[in-house]
Amino acid sequence: MGFRALLAFPAPMNQDARTDIGSAGVSRPDTAVRPMIEARGVDKRFGSFQALRRVSLEVGRGEVVVVIGPSGSGKSTLLRCVNRLETADSGEIVVDGRKLSDPRLDVNELRREIGVVFQSFNLFPHMTVLQNLMLAPMRVRKLDRAAAEARARKLLDKVGIPEKSDARPTQLSGGQQQRVAIARALCMEPKIMLFDEPTSALDPEMIKEVLDVMMALAHDGMTMMVVSHEMGFAREVADRVVFMDQGEIVEVGTPAEFFQDPEQERTKRFLNTILRH
Amino acid sequence: MGLFGGLDANSQLFIQGYFTTITLTVAALGSALVIGTVAASARVWGGPVVQSFVRGYVEFFRNTPLLVQLLFYAVLLAPANLNITRDPMVAAIIGLSIYTGAYVTEVVRSGIISVDPRQIEAARSLGLSQLEALRFVVLPQAIRTVIPPLGNLSIALVKNTAIAGGIAATDLLKVAGIIESRTGGDFTPYIAILVAYWTLTLPLAWAVSRLERRLAFAR
Repeated sequence: MGFRALLAFPAPMNQDARTDIGSAGVSRPDTAVRPMIEARGVDKRFGSFQALRRVSLEVGRGEVVVVIGPSGSGKSTLLRCVNRLETADSGEIVVDGRKLSDPRLDVNELRREIGVVFQSFNLFPHMTVLQNLMLAPMRVRKLDRAAAEARARKLLDKVGIPEKSDARPTQLSGGQQQRVAIARALCMEPKIMLFDEPTSALDPEMIKEVLDVMMALAHDGMTMMVVSHEMGFAREVADRVVFMDQGEIVEVGTPAEFFQDPEQERTKRFLNTILRH
Repeated sequence: MGLFGGLDANSQLFIQGYFTTITLTVAALGSALVIGTVAASARVWGGPVVQSFVRGYVEFFRNTPLLVQLLFYAVLLAPANLNITRDPMVAAIIGLSIYTGAYVTEVVRSGIISVDPRQIEAARSLGLSQLEALRFVVLPQAIRTVIPPLGNLSIALVKNTAIAGGIAATDLLKVAGIIESRTGGDFTPYIAILVAYWTLTLPLAWAVSRLERRLAFAR
């Protein structure tokens, strides 16, 4: 449903227009009804390394949760457990009512509903931008070519680079590549978007264009789980901020509580190290 | 065929040798590509038993002389043993295919593992199955890596067909020997077959570099 609302927004034609769509305040769907993502007591280890320790977290429908924490704290692992790129050792994750531990679960069907944006973009270099966007809708959603292309062009418009449809990914800047990656994920009309450090591989001047697109998506009601070091984004867009350290969730709070008055000593220390400059 | 002087009387034999070499090359290359692609896929995605079987295949056939392998097949298939055929062409094609297939396996394997595993993750995250991810994302990228070394293997194969003469296939080299002995030590047949090999290998090299450029994409 969030996706339909996204398409209802005026197409951002340039950088300035795009920043405006973020300010169009849309009330979020009721997050109290039933969470989109529910993780309960999730453990995950890689060999002797405990990546996740009894992690429990709920992400409501239309909610934006930003996960922060030092590297190796388990935030990416948690994110990857949500679409089963990693499988939890114990505990339970339920996504949109589907138990991920269910042996009858169709993983491909689950993943159709979950868009993922990676730190390293992971666009397909042997395809044009348009082909990148059309592959999954045609193969997985069985759209015909015309419908897939129409959808792809509409989304390229949304992310502000309609003119790049025939370019190869490598001909684009990092920021443009990441916007294509977001559009590629949105082409499947997912119910959830996962972002795994989407701006960490970008030059500073390109971070804003990607965050603007994400912000528009958030204001539009998309359910989002974002692993990021962008504190400005977290402050402005997140409904809740989650701090993880050593595989545990240390603290969860609204951005206001979290940044101004963190309860836990570990959170304070972490915020000090990153906000000092 | 006046071009080749003393060759005139033997031009028919020469042409036969030329086509024998082409037949050996095309047949062995075709089967080697099939063998190599299947074996490489098994090596990368198969279970541990399959993987070590493929490894054994590659190491065994890469590390024995081709001529010995061809002689082995010729004797094995001969009436005295399995009684399948005494045709040296069949033995030569089988031998060249299995031998070249071992090299193709290694080339295709390196092509597959050169594709960033995050490409599969991205494809699977879009809801594509493992097989769809391989077909639409991994293999198209692997092919690009694999074309230049496969070109080298094809050229090597053309040259390796000369060994088939050792089990009495009437390929170019064999034909040159026959003509030489008929004409009493004339060396021109050898010049002729050098040129004949070039007419196969040089266009092949040219075609491969063209294909390489056409398939190229910046990474």
